[in-house]
Amino acid sequence: MSLPAMPMPAEDERPFDPPPEYAELRAGATMIRVSCPTGLDAWLISDYAGVREVLGDGRRFSTRPGLAAHVLSSYGPESPIDNFTRMDGPEHVRIRRNFAPQVTHARRLAELRPMVERITDEAITRMLASPQPYPLHSQFSTAITTSVIAELIGVPSSQRHLLHEAAMALFDTSTKADQLREALTPLYTYLYEAVATRRAQPGDDVLSRMIEHSADSDRPLTDTELTEMNAALLIAGFDTTASMITYGLLALLNIPGEWEKLVADPSTAASATEELVRYLAVGTGLLRQATEDTEVNGQPIRAGDYVVVAVQSGNRDMALHADADDFDITRKPGAHLGFGHGAHACVGQQIARMELTTVLRALATRVPTLRVAVPLNEVEWKKDSVVRGPAELPVAWT
Amino acid sequence: MKVAVDRDHCIGAGNCAMTAPSVFDQDADEAIVILLTDSPPDSEQDAVQQAVDRCPAAVIRLLP
Repeated sequence: MSLPAMPMPAEDERPFDPPPEYAELRAGATMIRVSCPTGLDAWLISDYAGVREVLGDGRRFSTRPGLAAHVLSSYGPESPIDNFTRMDGPEHVRIRRNFAPQVTHARRLAELRPMVERITDEAITRMLASPQPYPLHSQFSTAITTSVIAELIGVPSSQRHLLHEAAMALFDTSTKADQLREALTPLYTYLYEAVATRRAQPGDDVLSRMIEHSADSDRPLTDTELTEMNAALLIAGFDTTASMITYGLLALLNIPGEWEKLVADPSTAASATEELVRYLAVGTGLLRQATEDTEVNGQPIRAGDYVVVAVQSGNRDMALHADADDFDITRKPGAHLGFGHGAHACVGQQIARMELTTVLRALATRVPTLRVAVPLNEVEWKKDSVVRGPAELPVAWT
Repeated sequence: MKVAVDRDHCIGAGNCAMTAPSVFDQDADEAIVILLTDSPPDSEQDAVQQAVDRCPAAVIRLLP
């Protein structure tokens, strides 16, 4: 007997909500077996406590198969481990501790804020000087997040197309493994050479700082590891955040009253950011694999079983907020699963928060009349991507 | 209110230092949590509870 298909988001029907099947599963903390798009069979967990338990326990639930191997066909769970997102325990901690200080340290972020503000201001000035309707996703959101991450790592403008091409292949659910390798090669080649250059002539960029930081450790990072880590930062760093800016603005401009609240008080940009990440989250869940016979929500799970945690559903759990299905940018920021949870929680989450907050505050201040130039049912959504959101968003202002 | 942290399992995500900067800092080298005080004033209760809830590695504990 074949299993039911894993529920997938359908933004053209429900632009801001997870698939409706989740509501009942979540309410009863019920776990079912589903067949995932890549053919894996998995337990589906959709309640907040269950998702948090699985992501928070890397000992019982390994990330070895790859966090998106249930939706990305390029990602075979049996393929060799090629990056830190598929490492467990001390191996992962070693990489993360060389990585994290450059992008999560509160003082370091304070140093980076002026750069993000300058890039955002320049993008708004360009936008205001352009004809309307203006393609927000490609010309504004993606331009800002690409510049920020490229400046962080020290990638010159002439090479920034490399990360766009790599991300397009990586996040496309139809890319095959050999196509992915081919698509990533130019970026990896560029970064591998950049590692050698920065070893010889260090700068103030993240890559140089990682080299310097790891040089004093027991097992300094190899050139290959540095290449992979920086490729991951570059690829994940612009597309997810750009999609969140575009998708977030669509939600803010469509859900009645919310944009007006932000314009009336742009200092709500920080809580608006947190609420957007909670409310929209990631559409396709995260994959783990049980390392031992165990149970979640009283449901036995056998060693080797795959588990998909539905992050977007968990964030709508009434156990988290009685009104979790309401979108309110003044909601007091609290725990949610929008950046994941556990040892593999998004390493770029502080930078993403800073970019989103900066962009929302600046737009609400400088372009208070911003509006979406097409009706909601004419918005074109990304189809084959694991990073959900509008493929483009025409906007206008007066 | 008493607070404890487990530095061995900290992943340096930085949420605590953003949420309750008068109670938590991060070391310069690895961004690992530093507890500035293990007995924060009651006025910080809310912020510390948020830091506990938002810590992805669950390394902050409120002690009775």
